Amino acid sequence: MDWRLSNDGARLVAQPAGRVDEESWKDFSARLTAAVHEAVEAKLPLVIDLSGLEYMTSKGLRVLTMAKSEAKGAIVIHLAAPNAAMKRILAISRYNMLFPVVDRVDQVGG
Amino acid sequence: MRVRFWGTRGSLPVAPHADAVLAKVARALMIARGRSFADQDEATAFAREETEFATHATYGGATACMEIEADEEAFVVCDMGSGMREFGVNALRRCAEGHPRLYHVFLSHPNFDHVMGFPFFRPAYETGARIVIHSGHPDAEAALRRQQEAICFPVPFETLRAKIEFVTHPPDQPFEAAGLTVSLIRQAHATRGSYGYRFERDGKAVVYSTDAEHGAEDMDAEGAFETFFAGADLVICDTMYSLGDAVSLKQDTGHASNVVAVDLCHAAGAKRLALFHHEPNGSDEDIQRMFYETLRYEELVRGERPPLEVLCAYDGLEVEV
Repeated sequence: MDWRLSNDGARLVAQPAGRVDEESWKDFSARLTAAVHEAVEAKLPLVIDLSGLEYMTSKGLRVLTMAKSEAKGAIVIHLAAPNAAMKRILAISRYNMLFPVVDRVDQVGG
Repeated sequence: MRVRFWGTRGSLPVAPHADAVLAKVARALMIARGRSFADQDEATAFAREETEFATHATYGGATACMEIEADEEAFVVCDMGSGMREFGVNALRRCAEGHPRLYHVFLSHPNFDHVMGFPFFRPAYETGARIVIHSGHPDAEAALRRQQEAICFPVPFETLRAKIEFVTHPPDQPFEAAGLTVSLIRQAHATRGSYGYRFERDGKAVVYSTDAEHGAEDMDAEGAFETFFAGADLVICDTMYSLGDAVSLKQDTGHASNVVAVDLCHAAGAKRLALFHHEPNGSDEDIQRMFYETLRYEELVRGERPPLEVLCAYDGLEVEV
C-alpha cells in the first residue's frame, strides 16, 4: 500500500493506493491514526480518497472504525471516489451506512 | 467425514409464518408461467433448478446443532440448540439399525440457544445411552442442570436415564474423541467467551467456530484464528451480522460477520466456508442476499488466491468433506 497525505486548506486528504489487506492494515492504521490527529489539530474534515485503492478487506474497514473512534466526534471522516469494487465492498459491509461516501474529494469542505 | 446441519439459526428458534410460505408458492407459480408437470418429481426438479433457494426452500429456524459423521462407533455433535431434538429422533432410528448409543457432544458455550435442545434430546432419556459432553467451560453441567430445574422444565436432569459425563478441556491441549483429534480455541463472546473446535481425521479438517466476535480493537488476535483454521477443508463460521452492524449496533454481542469469515478463511488457506448462525430476524430472502453478497465479496478480495468455496448452511444440509 502506498500513502499520500495533503492539506489544501479546506480538507485533509489521505490517499491510500493499492490494497489494504492482512499484509498492509497495520501500516494503514498507523498512517490513518496520525492523519486523524492532524485533521483534529487543523480542525479540518478528513477525506480518504479511495480512487487509488484496488480493494480493502475487513481489516481495513475496521481500521476506519478505529479512526472514527479516535476522532471522538471532533471531525468527520469522509470516504471519496471509491472504485466499483470498493463501492460494492462498502455496500456489502454496510460501511456506506457508517461513513459518508462522496463521488469526489472536492465535495467535502471548502 | 460428512457434516450434517440440524440447526443453523442464531439466538432464537424461528419459523416462517403462513404468509411467507404462501409467498414462496406464489413466486414459484409465477416463475412456472403456466407450465405443466407430469408428476411431483418433475415439479420438484423444476422448483429446485429454476427457482432460487429462498423460493423453493427455507434455511430453517432451529438453533445451533451440527453433526459430524466420522466414526461408526460414536455420534459426534456440536452444540445442543433446538436442532438437537430432530437429531435425537434421527439418531434413535440409526441406533435401531445397530449404531452404538455413544454420543460425543462438543459445546461452544452454555448460552440458552446452544443448550435448549438437550431437554428434548430423546437419547438422554434412554437407559444404555452414554453422552459425553465436552466443553471449555467448567460450568457446562451447571447450565444443563439449571435449565431443567422445576421453574423452567418439568423433567429434572437427575431423572435422565442416559449415562451423562462432562469433560472440561483447556484450549491448548488437543485430545482424541470418537476417532477424531480435537483442538479448542478460546473465542471472544460477550462476558464469558466461547470455544471453537477443530476436528481432524485422515488428513481432513473441519472447524466449528460460532459465537465468536472479531472486533476492531483486537485484530492482532486474529492470527490465532488463521492458524486454527489453517488448511481446513470446511470452516463453519458465525456470520450473523454485516460488519457494519457488528462494529456498531451489535458491538459486544459476541458475533461475527460474513466478510471477516471470508478474510479469516482466505488468510488460513481454508477450502470451504459455511455461513452459519443466521440472524433470527432474517427472512429466507435476507439470508440468501447475505449469501450472494458473501460470494461477491470473496471474489472482490480474493487477489491471487485460489477461490474459497462459500456455502450457506441450512437445516438439513449435508456436506461431504
